[in-house]
Amino acid sequence: MSTRTGICNFCGTGCGHLLKVDNGVARGVFASPDHPVSQGRLCVRGWHIHELLSTRDRILAPMVRRNGRLEPVSYDEAIAAAADGLSRWSGDEIAFLASPRSSNEDNYCLARLARTVFRTPNIGLASDQGHGDAADVLLEGAGFPAMLGALTEIRKAKLILVVGGDIAKLNPIVGSEIHRAARRGAELVTLSGRLTQIAKLSGRHLWFKPGTLRHSLAALAKVLVERGWHDASFLRDRAEGFDDFARYLAGLDLAALAAASGLEPAAIEDLARSLAQAPTAMAFFTSGIAGLDRPSVALLFDLFLAAGKIGREGCGVNPVAGICNIVGSYDVGASPRFLAGCRRAEGPAAGRTPRELLAADPTPLKAMMVVDRDEEIVRHAAKLKALECLVYVGAYGNPFVEFAHVVIPSATCAEADGTYTNTERRIQLSRKKIEPPPGVRPAWRICADVAARRGASWPGASAEDVMREIAAAVPAYGAVTYAGLEKGFGLQWPVDAGHPAGTVRFDAAAAPRRLRFVPAGADLGVAAVSKDFPFLLMAGKANYFWHRNNVMKKTQIPKREYNALLLLYPRGFVELAASDAKALGVRDRAPVNVIAEGGSMRVAVRISGDVKPGTAFVPYFIEDMVPGFLNAAGAAIDEDQESAIPVRIEKV
Amino acid sequence: MSGANAGAIVTVPETAVIDEIRDEIEDVRTFYFSFENPEAARAFRARSGQFVMCTVYGAGEFAVSLPFSPEDDRPHLSVRQVGKVTRALHELRPGDKIGLRGPFGNGFPFESIKGKNVIYVAGGIGLIPLRSSIVHVLQHRQDFGRIILIYGSKSSQELMYRDMIEKWKATEGFETYFTIDRPEPGWTGPVGFVHTLVAPAKVPVENTVAFVCGPPLMFNSVIKELLAAGIKDEAIMSTLERHMKCGIGKCQHCAIGRTLVCTDGPVYTYKQIKTLGEQI
Amino acid sequence: MYIMPKSQARALAAALAEDYDLHGPVLREESGEPMFDRVEDPAAIRLEAAIPYNPPKSVVFPQAERIMSYRYDREAKTVSLERDDLVRPKALVGLRACDLNGLLCLDRFYLGQEYVDEFYRDHRKKMFIVVNNCVRPFPQCFCVCTDSGPAAREGYDVALTGDGDDYLFEAGSEKGQALARRLGLKEAGPGAAGRKAKIIDASIARFDAEATENKAWISRVMNRITTGFISNDIWEFIGDQCFECGACSFVCPTCSCFNIEDINSREGRTDRMRSWDSCSYEGYTRMAGEHNPRRPVEDRRNKRFFCKLSYSQSRKYLRPGCVGCGRCNRVCPGDIGIANVVTYIRREITKAGAK
Repeated sequence: MSTRTGICNFCGTGCGHLLKVDNGVARGVFASPDHPVSQGRLCVRGWHIHELLSTRDRILAPMVRRNGRLEPVSYDEAIAAAADGLSRWSGDEIAFLASPRSSNEDNYCLARLARTVFRTPNIGLASDQGHGDAADVLLEGAGFPAMLGALTEIRKAKLILVVGGDIAKLNPIVGSEIHRAARRGAELVTLSGRLTQIAKLSGRHLWFKPGTLRHSLAALAKVLVERGWHDASFLRDRAEGFDDFARYLAGLDLAALAAASGLEPAAIEDLARSLAQAPTAMAFFTSGIAGLDRPSVALLFDLFLAAGKIGREGCGVNPVAGICNIVGSYDVGASPRFLAGCRRAEGPAAGRTPRELLAADPTPLKAMMVVDRDEEIVRHAAKLKALECLVYVGAYGNPFVEFAHVVIPSATCAEADGTYTNTERRIQLSRKKIEPPPGVRPAWRICADVAARRGASWPGASAEDVMREIAAAVPAYGAVTYAGLEKGFGLQWPVDAGHPAGTVRFDAAAAPRRLRFVPAGADLGVAAVSKDFPFLLMAGKANYFWHRNNVMKKTQIPKREYNALLLLYPRGFVELAASDAKALGVRDRAPVNVIAEGGSMRVAVRISGDVKPGTAFVPYFIEDMVPGFLNAAGAAIDEDQESAIPVRIEKV
Repeated sequence: MSGANAGAIVTVPETAVIDEIRDEIEDVRTFYFSFENPEAARAFRARSGQFVMCTVYGAGEFAVSLPFSPEDDRPHLSVRQVGKVTRALHELRPGDKIGLRGPFGNGFPFESIKGKNVIYVAGGIGLIPLRSSIVHVLQHRQDFGRIILIYGSKSSQELMYRDMIEKWKATEGFETYFTIDRPEPGWTGPVGFVHTLVAPAKVPVENTVAFVCGPPLMFNSVIKELLAAGIKDEAIMSTLERHMKCGIGKCQHCAIGRTLVCTDGPVYTYKQIKTLGEQI
Repeated sequence: MYIMPKSQARALAAALAEDYDLHGPVLREESGEPMFDRVEDPAAIRLEAAIPYNPPKSVVFPQAERIMSYRYDREAKTVSLERDDLVRPKALVGLRACDLNGLLCLDRFYLGQEYVDEFYRDHRKKMFIVVNNCVRPFPQCFCVCTDSGPAAREGYDVALTGDGDDYLFEAGSEKGQALARRLGLKEAGPGAAGRKAKIIDASIARFDAEATENKAWISRVMNRITTGFISNDIWEFIGDQCFECGACSFVCPTCSCFNIEDINSREGRTDRMRSWDSCSYEGYTRMAGEHNPRRPVEDRRNKRFFCKLSYSQSRKYLRPGCVGCGRCNRVCPGDIGIANVVTYIRREITKAGAK
């Protein structure tokens, strides 16, 4: 047979696919009919992963920079240069940037390298703020730091609430599952500041003003609790902190919340009632990319907890990861906030993310090791250039290579065994299907070799050996074995002595402690328009955004699709309602200046029915915009928070 | 394969040498070429209105209309740089090589328009695909009635083939009207979009054909004017542009409704265009 | 007609494997799901398997293939072109009637218009086709609505029809006759044609009760789509549900659109790659520059169903472009496979008829 079973490496849905390999080259992909989540479906990206896997834009040789030029060297020389170069720095002078697309084995080894060999807690992903916030809230509220429900249980939910970003675009197969559930009779409601595709598929769309998600959620919770629609017996048996939460809600003014959010009080009441009355309900929001901030996740969790829709079949608050292994990366400790096993890092064990360190002025960083990333390059090119030692490990051509002192090629996801944990905590084994180029090793092996050069001897000789170590270090992976994963389509953590077959969803009845309401904080904040800045500008990620598209650029069809939008508006665009465009006297594609208090940018108008009058939307994927405008105008956007910036828009 | 395109280079491009490159207007250059293989040069018989698939080695292939009339001038292509492949073409120098497949498409029907008045209405680089037809008609001046060119562009700098048009003007009874979108110093002619010249030109209506080529907005307004003047929809012809990958009716990128621009077109009458059922 | 004991199916595959690359329905190890794939071991072919998840078109139209490669030396100004030899004898064993009809559509389209597609022709050369007529429908099937099954009428070298422990073996070509002789098959006798007709009639009779996933009423809808009397609301309703994944095109036995890209390697060689494409993508019709005549998603959806179901397209295939295999319904994230679309349009026709 010419096809091999595998896992899609793009988004956090973790769809199953069948990779067609012909003479050692990926030449096609077909959806896996058997996979429990995707069941024969893939999105446009998934249908073209063979284009990425067969790209010629690979890093093939280890290289070391000498006299300003990268020169090919032996693997051992590169390892030595990396290990010796990094070892000259410590504390906040050094950081490790991990990739949420890397396997658990790769990230476990990188985290171990950072923390035990180079003795720094500064290890993190880049676009993980949203997921980190979600994990944090769910850990505090339920002791369970990831999706509480399961993708495979979507069809059991009678009400589905989608909050924020467009799940149909970012995680299309999750969006598809939700759509199918709605077609089978579940009630689908979207709560967002923009008319998204999932909103178009919803029976109800609560279209709030940009930047007022917190107000909307607080209003829903206030109505639910004050009308007495909360699930009192569930809360008595399973939860604590309800009285504090009720007191917090009592301090809020419903009329003010409704006015701020722009939602009809009747619509708020109807949704609160539906949520209370539905026998089962799930909430979904995209995390990691365009995710929710901590107060929003906390309010959403508290709302569902009050309604008794946590820890029961067909229920749960469910963050949906944008990149394939964000969840696993956290599980194995590729984060300054969590050690392996999602134990909170305290005291000296708590570090800072490479992003925070780079953003500091002046940055304390002198050295960095980066695996398979390119996000930071846009914003901090000058600072990266000034580093004393930059080690880049990756499979594909990457802008980091330009600045790196040491480059070490690594295997792609199809060229090595490894596990990836999808957004419903499903640990999936992806077997090696293609022989890597000569001399190219998996990233976990490279980490082990760097460690060995520094005198640390790690015993593992295979990815499976690394998983044995992970199982010993991460309680939720305690009973994971490759043999066990290979039997079906992975196992959902916790997989331990008590749950050898994994855990489909969080179960409140079996939890070791009571559920807790998570304080959202007193200040809900609100971005206000003024005479000078009459528009509320949202920023978001477009359909084909993926890792600032370093990955998409190596494909043909997805790249073309990404460009279809971009080339139509080559300098970026701002979506405006038709009536606003008319008032400004601009046609589609006319240039305008978008001016905020901190900066301005020139982009083209894209007339769209997806934004309300008085609001505007910019897709947050056009590189030039990031330093030029968004850095100045939106630190909040930088942190992937739900927010809006007051701006003025002027015809050019 | 039908007789019309027998001898076309269908699958593997034939290599041609770029002999000379001329700058036309901003972003548009003309590339004079000759085939490396004399067999291919003999077999390559382009008709007015047809197109070729041009390979820029290392960059890709694109479809481009043929501006030259086989009877008079040297084989050449006039190309605007708009995307990755055409940008790569613009980086080439004389002596560099390209690959060509074709010619493809139906071409303009010259036999059926003999003895008629001919109107050309072009916007911007829409003059490129009409050029070969103009050359042909002027060469056979005696076979036609009035010959009118109405041509408009964004600015005077963006009028194509100005030197050639000057030469063409020497042909007796060749009427020309030019316009630019906005006023500019030194321009004494009319200002405004090209369709505004149709009525002032007092175009003939009976026994007349019109060739129209330009961007979609211009196309639609010109058609409106011509119809208002009384010209029949079957007497209006245009050559359509579409995204193309194969040129031979297989990849389907150029489908409009039930027609394929590469094999059924690119030349259509407005009567046909009206019934295609999709936007132009 | 001949009689072939079912136990001899392996011998049939083995005989063909001597002269051809063997392709056929196989069951995936992990799950038992049927796939159409290249096999080395003739015993792996499962004639009794349900309709495979993927259509057989990748045998003649691979998802991604190199159709040519070249080197251009800009210093020396030399070009060298190479073409891969795509002609390999292939036996397709156990094709269902719908998929054979899909292949015939591709033949008519790629080989039968103004130009011949040389790459397709080379894949299609020297092929041996064994079709396996469906003695019962699968839940997703509606070939009876698209006139493409359950039995094949043409285009095969051998047609098998299950009859208890035997197959009725019909030779559709000289090559098929030769295979029958080589396998030493018995003549089926004068009653065989009648018996086959009865088996197929029984199969058709089972559609109502067993092919329950899709109820397509293609013929009336074809008329509507051809004449264009379908309100834009319907296309918008369908367009909103489109996730723009392209899967419907990829799993369709008759979808033939492709993209071509030149891809450079570091060693200076460029490969001209041809790959599956889909009219559901926004970039599909976008031209260099900025014009895109078919941008809204509902226009793109509209295009696909026009292509599958209009009479004008049928002229190209000499039949409808849909062969009733039901695959698009199974893979569509938006639940707008062809059978559902037909249902929506039919609903509108009925509504309009009531007015």
